[in-house]
Amino acid sequence: MEFTAYQIITPLAGFVAVAYAWNLVFRQKKTLWEAILWTVFWGSIIAISIYPDSLDYLSKFTGIKDRENAVLVTTIAVLLFIVFYLIVRIEALEQRQTRVIRKLALKDLDKK
Amino acid sequence: MKIAAVIPAYNEGKRVGNVVADAKKFVDYVIVVDDGSTDNTKEFASQAGAITLRHIENCGAGAATMTGIDAARELGVDIIVTLDADEQHSPDDIPALLEPIKSGKADIAFANRFGQRNNIPFIRRLFNGLGNVITFAATGKWVKDSQCGFKAFGPKAVAQVDLRMSGYEFCTEIVREAAQHKWRTAEVPAKVLYSEYTLAKGQSFANGIKTALKILLRSFLR
Repeated sequence: MEFTAYQIITPLAGFVAVAYAWNLVFRQKKTLWEAILWTVFWGSIIAISIYPDSLDYLSKFTGIKDRENAVLVTTIAVLLFIVFYLIVRIEALEQRQTRVIRKLALKDLDKK
Repeated sequence: MKIAAVIPAYNEGKRVGNVVADAKKFVDYVIVVDDGSTDNTKEFASQAGAITLRHIENCGAGAATMTGIDAARELGVDIIVTLDADEQHSPDDIPALLEPIKSGKADIAFANRFGQRNNIPFIRRLFNGLGNVITFAATGKWVKDSQCGFKAFGPKAVAQVDLRMSGYEFCTEIVREAAQHKWRTAEVPAKVLYSEYTLAKGQSFANGIKTALKILLRSFLR
């Protein structure tokens, strides 16, 4: 089996990320649950990089014949969801900040 | 019936005093909400006889208006008039704006700067027209001058209004509140006094786009 540069660099980066996650667990900065989650995530990336054929199911699932396009479309969909989620969170934070400032202003009225 | 004028103000130290003094002739209380100004807006408003509140950070005209409305509620006010602090609105129009509320014909009265001999620059008319269209698209209710800050709220509207939008989008949100709570509305012709200062202060095109996007996002998130 011949390996491309991508199939060497990606697993190495994945191993570093997993090692860092567990290091944070030992330093009590991350929970065990979080470390397991990150291990599963990076493990999947490593597995896909070594065995790209494992993504064939995605092309069957999305109906997009070409495997690379199926991955690209799925990635864009996930990124769009993350952007939307972040916008919603920022809006919520902005509203919370405004509520605090308004409450502080109204406290002055009570003092008068 | 107790009436209050709510004036959101941001860096309007040179003008807010005159607005307060003029508004006081027609209402029982004048409440100025200093929205995190870096000048002496609050001091001038107090000297002119207003009840003043201060946001420690600039939150936007919508948030300042809602703070003023909450303060008026705490004072047991029945009718609220909102107007800008930059002398753009003439307090002399307050009695006309209050008339449909006092006579029980409307729950909210919108001032209308258009359709009369006000000298409004074309670009202002265009942006306000676009604001009306976006407001109609988001709320399903057509108001001839939806983006004007000069309004009067009757007892029902005072009790029910709940603004969550902090910036200039609040004008559209008020129309949405009117549609949601089925407030009876009236539109009253009003003067607008544009000076070089108010024209320069107006919203940029980029701000208008930002406001429109916020309106759409918020209507989606509700």
